[in-house]
Amino acid sequence: MSSPVLSLASIEKVFPNGVRGLSPVDLTVEKGDFVTLIGPSGCGKSTLLKLIANLHTPSGGKMNWWGGNFGDVGRKGRRMAFVFQDATLMPWATIAKNVRLPLDLEKVDRSTADKRALAALERVGLGHVTEHYPAQLSGGMKMRVSIARALVTEPDLLLMDEPFGALDEFTRNRLDEEMARLCYEDGLTTLFVTHALHEAAFLSSRVMVMAARPGRIHAEYEIDQSILRNEEFRLSDQFAGISRELAILLEDASRESMIQQEMRA
Amino acid sequence: MMSSRTFSLLAPVTLGIIILGIWEGICRFWHIPPYLMPSPSAIWRALMLDGVALLHALLITLEITFAALIAAVVGGVLVAFLLVQSPLIERCLMPYVVIMQVTPIVAIAPLIIILIHNTPLALTACAALVAIFPVISNTLQGLRSVDPDLAAYFQMHKASRLQTLIRLRIPSALPMFMAGLRIATGLSLVGAIVAEFVAGTGGNSAGLAYQILQSGFQMDIPRMFAALFLITVAGLVLYAAAASLQRFALRHRP
Ligand SMILES: Nc1ncnc2c1ncn2[C@@H]1O[C@H](COP(=O)(O)OP(=O)(O)O)[C@@H](O)[C@H]1O
Ligand SMILES: [Mg+2]
Repeated sequence: MSSPVLSLASIEKVFPNGVRGLSPVDLTVEKGDFVTLIGPSGCGKSTLLKLIANLHTPSGGKMNWWGGNFGDVGRKGRRMAFVFQDATLMPWATIAKNVRLPLDLEKVDRSTADKRALAALERVGLGHVTEHYPAQLSGGMKMRVSIARALVTEPDLLLMDEPFGALDEFTRNRLDEEMARLCYEDGLTTLFVTHALHEAAFLSSRVMVMAARPGRIHAEYEIDQSILRNEEFRLSDQFAGISRELAILLEDASRESMIQQEMRA
Repeated sequence: MMSSRTFSLLAPVTLGIIILGIWEGICRFWHIPPYLMPSPSAIWRALMLDGVALLHALLITLEITFAALIAAVVGGVLVAFLLVQSPLIERCLMPYVVIMQVTPIVAIAPLIIILIHNTPLALTACAALVAIFPVISNTLQGLRSVDPDLAAYFQMHKASRLQTLIRLRIPSALPMFMAGLRIATGLSLVGAIVAEFVAGTGGNSAGLAYQILQSGFQMDIPRMFAALFLITVAGLVLYAAAASLQRFALRHRP
């Protein structure tokens, strides 16, 4: 068996101000996985993603990237991409230039970069707005651009931090279906953060339920990878069953987070 | 139906015409002497009579205004870039920037005029001093107003300092810089005129402020108003130009 895309062993984070962001966390992401982190706010979901994205340094533990050192990210063609809660586009640049940004930063030549940017935009159904500016697009479209900017680098791991949290439910459902297609049909490996239970149930091949104070993984829940993630699934009893089981786990986790808080008070 | 744009132009113009009419009427009805309060028609006659000399003076003032504006923008942006480099530099320099800002220009203008013998240069320096502060503070704030998520994105993609500066910090600073530039444009004109007043220079290279002073000495009040009218028009044109430039530079942003 090939080595996992990402593996974390006893990763911890204590912030300089003494706040314990994460107590030891173990997490493995295999190629083709869609792993979702869900939990009450403040349980360290963003912290965990930022550690993986190298925006924070862990206070302890070991992180491996394709079985090798974490310094190898970006080298040997193994890449990570990050999608934020907001689209985080450059308002002064056209959609094409926004999507091309990671390639421009790597000094990929102009015509190759343009071609790849257009291809990435077409993958999210936005091939026709290349010369528009972000202010001209709706929230859902901006989020698609943000996803295109992540896809353009052909990432081996896509990190998404509550990406659709600010969108209305219909737009969110459409984007969820699109993410499912990218992952289950095109084989994009994804680590996804959400606080929406139904989104986790719809998208994930594995859900990590987290608890807070200190942030930790409370439970792990597997969902059959072979399920077709479409509108039919969303309406099925199977989906309702998964959602119910996740709700119970999440309830458990938030109750534990509360108890910890009261014990400290 | 009138468009709201036409209306917002037409309404103040109508008000202006009404006020001018009342003003003219009062002056004529009570035969108010022009050295007390000239009528609009008397001011207009003064403008026609002395227009060439006044326009020449206006051009001189505008030259100083533009030179000061360029100096303030170049200097202000450089200072802002310097300040943003490190907290230590900012700690050391910022108090002096503030001291410079709070010292009234009329108080230091005589000193500058004595120190710099070349009068146009001295006037430019005074006006630039007035205009530089909004450029510094706005550019500084702009350079700091980078979206933290975008900054994290650049960091994640291992962008170099130069790439981050050109592709992120400068474009992020543009809206604040443009607002600063608009303020500085108005202040450059104010600074140029204040400096001319203080310097009181006459002769061939005298600006509009000197024309106002001279008209005052000669009790030629209509001419004084005519000069004032030209300054106001110049100020309005500068303001409109700066506002258009700002709109143009930020046309794609929400
Ligand atoms: N830079 C930081 N310094 C200190 N504490 C932080 C910092 N970032 C996050 N925290 C704390 O760490 C905990 C987890 O935060 P976060 O990962 O943002 O939670 P989540 O994304 O799950 O809502 C919170 O209690 C938060 O206050
Ligand atoms: Mg978060």
